[in-house]
Amino acid sequence: MLSKLLSYGLTGIDGFLVEIETDIVGGLPHFDLVGLGDTAVKEAKERVKSAIRNSGFEYPLKHYTVNLAPADLKKEGPVYDLGIAIGILSASEQINNRDYKKYIFLGELSLDGRIKKIRGVLPMLISARSQGYQDFIIPKENAKEASFISNINCYAFENLREVVAYLNNEVEKEQFKVKTMSFEEIALSSVNKLDFENVKGQKMAKRALEIAAAGGHNVLMIGPPGSGKSMLAKCFSGILPNLTFEEALEVTKIHSIAGELDLNQGIITERPFRSPHHTATAISLTGGGTHSKPGEISLAHNGVLFLDEFPEYSRHLIETLRQPLEDGYITVARAQQTITYPASFTLIASMNPCPCGNYGSKDRECTCSPTQIHRYLSKLSGPIMDRIDIHVEVDNITYKELNDENKEEPTSKIKERVDKAREIQLERFKGSKVFCNAKMSVPQTKQFCKLSPECQNLMSYAFTNLKLSARAHDRILKVARTIADLAGEENILPAHIAEAISYRGLDRKYFSV
Amino acid sequence: MNKNILIFLSLVEISNKKLEKIMDIVEREEIKEIREVVDNKEIVNLLSTNEFANLVKKCNDRLFKAYLSNLENDNIKVVTIEEAEYPEKLRYLDDAPLLLYCMGDISLLNTDAISIVGTRMPSNYGKFVTEKFAGALASAGLTVVSGLAYGVDAISHRKTLEVNGKTIAVLGGGLNHIYPEANANLASEIIEKGLLISEYPPFAKPTKYTFPLRNRIIAGLSLGTLITEAGKKSGTIHTKEYALEYGRDVFAVPGNINSLKSELPNSLIRSAQAECVLDPEDILSRYNIKGVKNMAKAVEVSLDEATILKLLEDGEQDFDELSKKSKLPTNILNSCLTTLEIRGIIKRMPAKTYMLS
Repeated sequence: MLSKLLSYGLTGIDGFLVEIETDIVGGLPHFDLVGLGDTAVKEAKERVKSAIRNSGFEYPLKHYTVNLAPADLKKEGPVYDLGIAIGILSASEQINNRDYKKYIFLGELSLDGRIKKIRGVLPMLISARSQGYQDFIIPKENAKEASFISNINCYAFENLREVVAYLNNEVEKEQFKVKTMSFEEIALSSVNKLDFENVKGQKMAKRALEIAAAGGHNVLMIGPPGSGKSMLAKCFSGILPNLTFEEALEVTKIHSIAGELDLNQGIITERPFRSPHHTATAISLTGGGTHSKPGEISLAHNGVLFLDEFPEYSRHLIETLRQPLEDGYITVARAQQTITYPASFTLIASMNPCPCGNYGSKDRECTCSPTQIHRYLSKLSGPIMDRIDIHVEVDNITYKELNDENKEEPTSKIKERVDKAREIQLERFKGSKVFCNAKMSVPQTKQFCKLSPECQNLMSYAFTNLKLSARAHDRILKVARTIADLAGEENILPAHIAEAISYRGLDRKYFSV
Repeated sequence: MNKNILIFLSLVEISNKKLEKIMDIVEREEIKEIREVVDNKEIVNLLSTNEFANLVKKCNDRLFKAYLSNLENDNIKVVTIEEAEYPEKLRYLDDAPLLLYCMGDISLLNTDAISIVGTRMPSNYGKFVTEKFAGALASAGLTVVSGLAYGVDAISHRKTLEVNGKTIAVLGGGLNHIYPEANANLASEIIEKGLLISEYPPFAKPTKYTFPLRNRIIAGLSLGTLITEAGKKSGTIHTKEYALEYGRDVFAVPGNINSLKSELPNSLIRSAQAECVLDPEDILSRYNIKGVKNMAKAVEVSLDEATILKLLEDGEQDFDELSKKSKLPTNILNSCLTTLEIRGIIKRMPAKTYMLS
């Protein structure tokens, strides 16, 4: 007998419908599984067989053919276990109710019949919903993830028996239904652990990060080891505006595919903070690989990508960031498939001023030769520096500063100002694709960063006297725009320009010689 | 003296002394062709096996002609010790180079020059001092001589070019081997507006023996040598030694007694080997040169800016110190500092340190 039911597969963060067709005919006992599955899919037959038997159902010795359609799309992972098992049970007439056809089955089976969690439930549900499907059967462990999606009926089960009982109408149906939750409830309960309140001194760096958060600018922090660069970076995600529900869904989707979702929480409400080590490979950063997982830059989507010891990353790796920094997504092309992952993040990079870290330090001697310093700094190519608006120096703080009793400004205060500046920007860019100053196009920069004669005067002085490079020009304008927004000013004033110029340290020649 | 023979001999790295002896023989025997040099028993006896083999290898009329025309194509001029363009100050020294390969304005060779030398890794203070002296001395019309190395050398050249002064860079290798490579742009600017010289043929690579030797040319070209900042074991010692040997002035700028980078100038001042200078004027008055007075402009500053300037009078301070002492909000302090810097009133150093300029 033949049975047909539905399941779902993913390419990148988008999905496709998979039809599981099961045919049982007489003959020598045999199991054929076709439809371009990977090894995990092919091994499903062993799991399914045991799971069916151990759940107390019958597994007739016959010739089975299971087809996963469409047959030309690659299918990965153990998602189809549950669908195949139900298909077999239905084809062998152990399930009589025919209305299982409206469900999409997702789940991995363990040999004892339990249904195990799978990765990528959230994006599958969202994608399937957009195709008009509304009923899903999912593992219980994934229920939390599903609870944030409205307008669908999700049923979560712990084992195969429950599913069969449910489909045969032998139990009360409502008990399995996943209750929807509102996003705000969860978002409010989350607390950021690190607060700017705990960072002593570093006034300039804090101000720079505030500007970066307000305008979506990328930041490069330069300072000796132990000066608190990483701590500042970790605090940074706290002053970014809250995630909206749409953004949170997008972030959760990506994390769900990567299997990095905290299943107790279900949805990610805080902006992600990713800090891959500098030995990372290009693929771990960009995504891809045989099982096509999103990389670090996609996991940092809508959040912060922190690259500590920036020049220690291989040059090739740094250059791969160029395109995503510009476009906000990354397209990974492989022989078998081409996948696009979103990757719109704020880059916070940190570096020492020289290989030993003490160049320019007041109390420690730098032991590097000028050639070493030159080589170290030359790892940062022009094009990548073009995409970093703010350079800020961070210096060691003294013991006295460390034990200073004066209260530092807490994150919540800074965040208020950032939120206000963001509102101004949203208003300004209404109707365009841009939503923050850093992403302004050239014509937009011209339009929104008009300079008074006084400001222009200052700019021209600055260029000749401080020997700024030409690429600094637009960066300064954008940062000055953000500073003006933070101050609530309609027009850019000379003071804003002057402050913006102070964040262009590396454009100036004092690091050379 | 036969110029071509001299150029030919310079292709093989023979020491200056030996070269002089050989040139005596060349003159006595009236040698005109390069082939004759290799055939002369007396000359051959003076040379080591290596040097001789090298010389024989290069002894080819066609190749030598090509070499000469290449020099011309590259705009490299050769000045020998007997020519009028050769610097007078160098000519009568014992170990004067017999010829100089030059790129740029060779008229600079006979101008009044002062050399500025020092460490390759100057501190903020060293940078400040070097810039101040190079700028003032160059604007007063002195030619600034240095060695195109990192640090004090490069700063001196840069600052001189910035104030449209004249500068000579003496290389430790051939003119085609700019060392360090990072200063290649600076070198080409010097060729355009100043002079690049070397006693070695253009293809010669610099070695650790040639750098101390070129220091004698730096010292020899100049009326005096100024040491702005240098450690105890710095190569600057060679330059100072040569300058003293040639009877030239040595000036030193004092620094903090606990600064490793001011050890050499401080100890030279103590042992009276160098004259202590505190102002470019000290050097200029020595040579009766009138400095270009920087008219102290009455600068208009805002109230906040005045507070900052007052604080900086105590010496260099970093951003956090200024922020605490001035009690100004970060954004205002930041923009004030930048404005002051743009107007040239203060200077920003690495590690967000500021000082009066």
